[in-house]
Amino acid sequence: MPPPRAKDGRDDRGRPCDPREEEAPGKWDWNCPETRRLFEDAFFRDEDYIRRGSEECEKFWTFFERLQRFQNLRSPGKGDRDPGRPKHSIPALAGLPRTYDPCHRINLSVLGPDTWGPRGLGRPPPGRVAEFRQALQHYLDFGQRQAFGRLARLQQERAALPIARYGARVLQALKEHQVVVVAGDTGCGKSTQVPQYLLAAGFSHVACTQPRRIACISLAKRVSFESLSQYGARGYQIRFESTRTAATKVVFLTVGLLLRQIQREPSLPQYQVLIVDEVHERHLHNDFLLGVLRRLLPQRPDLKVVLMSATINISLFSSYFDGAPVVQVPGRLFPITVVYQPQEAEPPASKSEKLDPRPFLRVLEAIDKKYPPEERGDLLVFLSGMAEISAVLEAAQAYARHTQRWVVLPLHSALSVADQDKVFDVAPPGVRKCILSTNIAETSVTIDGIRFVVDSGKVKEMGYDPQAKLQRLQEFWISQASAEQRKGRAGRTGPGVCFRLYAESDYDAFAPYPVPEIRRVALDSLVLQMKSMSVGDPRTFPFIEPPPPASLETAILYLRDQGALDSSEALTPIGSLLAQLPVDVVIGKMLILGSVFHLVEPVLTVAAALSVQSPFTRSAQGKPDSAAARRPLDSDHGDPFTLFNVFNAWVQVKSKRSRSSRKWCRHRGIEEHRLYEMANVRRQFKELLEDHGLLARARAPQPGDSHSRLQQRRERRALYQLKRQHEEGGGRGRKVLRLQDDPGGCSSEEDPGAGDSVDIQDVKFKLRHSLDQLQAAATAAQDLTRDQVALLKLVLGRGLYPQLAVPDPFNSSRKDSDQIFHTQSKQGTVPHPTSIFASSPEVLHVQEQEAGGTEGSRGNKDKMSSRHQLLTFVSLLETNKAYLVNCVRIPALQSLLLFSRSLDTNGDCSRLVADGWLELQLEDSESAVRLLAASVRLRARWESALDRQLARQARRRPEVDQEEEEDPGTRKEVADLSRELLKFTASKSDTDLYSDCLRTFWTCPHCGLHAPLTPLERISHENTCPEAPQDGPPGAEEAAPTPLRKASVLQKPYHCEACGKDFLFTPTELLRHRRQHV
Amino acid sequence: MECEAERPPLGVFKCQLCALTAPYSYVGQKPPDTQSIVLLEESYVMKDPFTPDKGRFLVLGSRCSLCSRLVCVGPECSLFYSKRFCLPCVRENLDAFPREIQQDVERRKGPSKKPVGQPGSGT
Repeated sequence: MPPPRAKDGRDDRGRPCDPREEEAPGKWDWNCPETRRLFEDAFFRDEDYIRRGSEECEKFWTFFERLQRFQNLRSPGKGDRDPGRPKHSIPALAGLPRTYDPCHRINLSVLGPDTWGPRGLGRPPPGRVAEFRQALQHYLDFGQRQAFGRLARLQQERAALPIARYGARVLQALKEHQVVVVAGDTGCGKSTQVPQYLLAAGFSHVACTQPRRIACISLAKRVSFESLSQYGARGYQIRFESTRTAATKVVFLTVGLLLRQIQREPSLPQYQVLIVDEVHERHLHNDFLLGVLRRLLPQRPDLKVVLMSATINISLFSSYFDGAPVVQVPGRLFPITVVYQPQEAEPPASKSEKLDPRPFLRVLEAIDKKYPPEERGDLLVFLSGMAEISAVLEAAQAYARHTQRWVVLPLHSALSVADQDKVFDVAPPGVRKCILSTNIAETSVTIDGIRFVVDSGKVKEMGYDPQAKLQRLQEFWISQASAEQRKGRAGRTGPGVCFRLYAESDYDAFAPYPVPEIRRVALDSLVLQMKSMSVGDPRTFPFIEPPPPASLETAILYLRDQGALDSSEALTPIGSLLAQLPVDVVIGKMLILGSVFHLVEPVLTVAAALSVQSPFTRSAQGKPDSAAARRPLDSDHGDPFTLFNVFNAWVQVKSKRSRSSRKWCRHRGIEEHRLYEMANVRRQFKELLEDHGLLARARAPQPGDSHSRLQQRRERRALYQLKRQHEEGGGRGRKVLRLQDDPGGCSSEEDPGAGDSVDIQDVKFKLRHSLDQLQAAATAAQDLTRDQVALLKLVLGRGLYPQLAVPDPFNSSRKDSDQIFHTQSKQGTVPHPTSIFASSPEVLHVQEQEAGGTEGSRGNKDKMSSRHQLLTFVSLLETNKAYLVNCVRIPALQSLLLFSRSLDTNGDCSRLVADGWLELQLEDSESAVRLLAASVRLRARWESALDRQLARQARRRPEVDQEEEEDPGTRKEVADLSRELLKFTASKSDTDLYSDCLRTFWTCPHCGLHAPLTPLERISHENTCPEAPQDGPPGAEEAAPTPLRKASVLQKPYHCEACGKDFLFTPTELLRHRRQHV
Repeated sequence: MECEAERPPLGVFKCQLCALTAPYSYVGQKPPDTQSIVLLEESYVMKDPFTPDKGRFLVLGSRCSLCSRLVCVGPECSLFYSKRFCLPCVRENLDAFPREIQQDVERRKGPSKKPVGQPGSGT
């Protein structure tokens, strides 16, 4: 029984009164704060069901006021006697109260109070106490009814799901077979129910994989909620967090995480049942997991596997697992009318390549004509990409302003989270939502209330060109499966209409299914993982559908290039470490190198920044204000350094005045959510390095005195409370959308953060991270010396190598916006518009005054300079142009000398060709030789420092968690190496002389040898000269017995009988050397 | 993440009239972690699953004081009038109850309870 609603607000509040007064009729006032406090002190103590000052307490008083009004209305009829009723013969019925009173229907009673307040005040009149107690009992009863109602509703909803009638069938099939395929469309309930059926049937070690992290969390919550925590079911494990405990019976985890568990324990002994959800999405790792499972099943006959899929290509999965039985669950779809509206060839609206919005507007018009506005139902439009969305958005908003019958909203992954959430808001009466979406709304995001769907038939997907090792966003026709999925979105809440902007014959020509991921992406990390799991040659692995051989070859070659695989395609030490780090190979290398050079903190931040989506909002790109506000954070070293500055500045803002960080971000056009992600990734990387012995585990800094400890504990408790309150509140409620006058589509609340609401992200952030530690790192980052920045650049450069782009020689005479760069495989790329090198390209230009080659005859084109720079980049993205994403500028000569896999030189080393594509000319062969010699030495020492670090890491066993102090020798070695590297990168090489002579007389400064030597011979002598000062630890020198290791593919090891030394020589070098001994 | 040691369930409560099932963690008249509240019947109680507050309980049901059937507190299965009665027993002895209860039961007319699983049975 809900209480009657209050019609008006409270009155007479705060009138002075004295609750102890003997009751004079009409003078008692329940609204008096004194009175209320008296009762609260007695009934709502800390140990009571309702606590003073809590939200519950406020709710009670509201209830109380309504109840009073209700009872005042009813009081005359009260005490209705029922004298005609005889006393009943059955004893249980005989004792029933003869006079009806609603209070007899309440099955609980409130005791007390024992005392009347610490204030020692007198007790209120007994009648009033009884009145209060009765109200309280009504309130508690009301709460019980509400909660029980929810419980019953929950069970009814579960039972009403389409899957409910198939639970027994799934269990039966699983009894008879090792693998069962459950096929059912979105909304049939398979993801939430099947795990519960398994638990109810007595299985206890159940793992359920999901392609997305977010699904793990929400499913674990949902299942825990639905099963009323009876199985201790609440467990999920994702990249950043785990709620798994010993009692956990079902755990939701990502496919990647399960694969890593298999890597550790190949027979997966910890699970009885494995549910692999969303197999139809054909994600890379899901496909691989299926292959691994197929091999594992014969070894684990007790392991049960449930594959869950939409009703797409089910026979593929069934036959892959020897004809596994399929339990097919019908969806809950209403009938949908399909209207084919192929676009007739009409004169293009404009000459540009922009999408013509007119066919889409025609659908809006048609809906307005045919369906009265009172009939609700929103429109979902599937477009291929963001450019298409904004083209239609503009036109549709103009139409909406004119008709006042639509609210138009974009939906794609680059939108801020708050903007994405707007699609769940409700349109005002008589107005429809028109959501313009990418394929994100096909499966990932489900919006209720959609009645109309417009399907453009197109999708843009990351294509992968294995030859160019290039990601490319391309537009494709969708598959029939996607078309059906899109159509289905119109029939979730009632009968719907789907407008297809293509002909039925087009549909018939579509591929039946989308191209699986394994056929369209780079396979580097997959191959690395396969290698580390020892599944054999990736080329012969029994994938459900094999990847293109060219992609596999490219990946293997790339991993060899990156030093993760050796020439026999076996994992190198660094490769096996990389395979354990669930990150991109390039990022993994950075982390390892950073730990070698004691640059862990900054490298962690940079690596994290490069692992999440760019925090710069798209809409801010065009806003000069945001760009200006961000300018102080820009770094002309490159984009990763800008991100580094942004993150650190944000941490500082948070630690000083955390409530305003949201505003700080908005002002600068930064999506704060991405920074939170960065903090999470950073923490995860740190833990990875700790787990793998690359970083000493930080001892939890204990605040010195008990007072501050107490303080800290109190703060954390307050944060938990906030978080809990937020979760109870259910987060963001739905809002009513406003008809927009301004383009952009706004909800009624412009500014989600400005109010006094709790910033839950901030709370979670503080609970998860030690702000003090982060702040210390951020402060240290401000004090990074120039040397440290240079070293950091070296680490990034080596990690990213060979992802290099060379500036076009004519860039300095080009417009800022026309700067082009060339990579080894791709000509004419440009820095991404958000890059510092797009907005300030001059930092890459060779300064005139520094240019060597004083002769005027040399054109700008081939200036000699020691300041030539290259761009190293994180990824190459092709949309309408080929973009270099996240670039860093690095000194050309020194970087190539240090990083290149092969260096070919002419006789006097005045010409160098790095990795067969970048040529460097040096004017002075003397200094060239010196540089070359130094680089060879440094490379050897760098390698050995790295090897030592990896060896140290390999020695550590995870179970022996005792800290091994870094020995002072290693520390010195690294310090020396760092110093030398810096000296090297600062060296100049463009002195004046140019010598044609190959062999010149030279005196060794150490042993006094005087002989005509070629530059290479000199280097070789210097490296082996017995008198030469040992400027590094002996080990390092020993590790470099051969100069120019790997200098060229043509080189072969050669042992010279005459001088008794080992060399790596090309045939010409060999001849030259032999001639020496003649 | 919080790790709350939850009271382990003693068993599963199952209403004998409808198919409602839920794990209970206490049977009696004095729910744990609450001092000032007593229940007026021997009740099957679980921790309120809809709030993280540990002290909150939810009464699932109890035995009918006439036929001893275990019934849930849902309005389509039982009612409380100083004692618990399952609706079939109330209907059988309708004249023993005051007029208010009689009217109330009249209003709940129809099958004693739809089996769980049929959508649309509102609560």
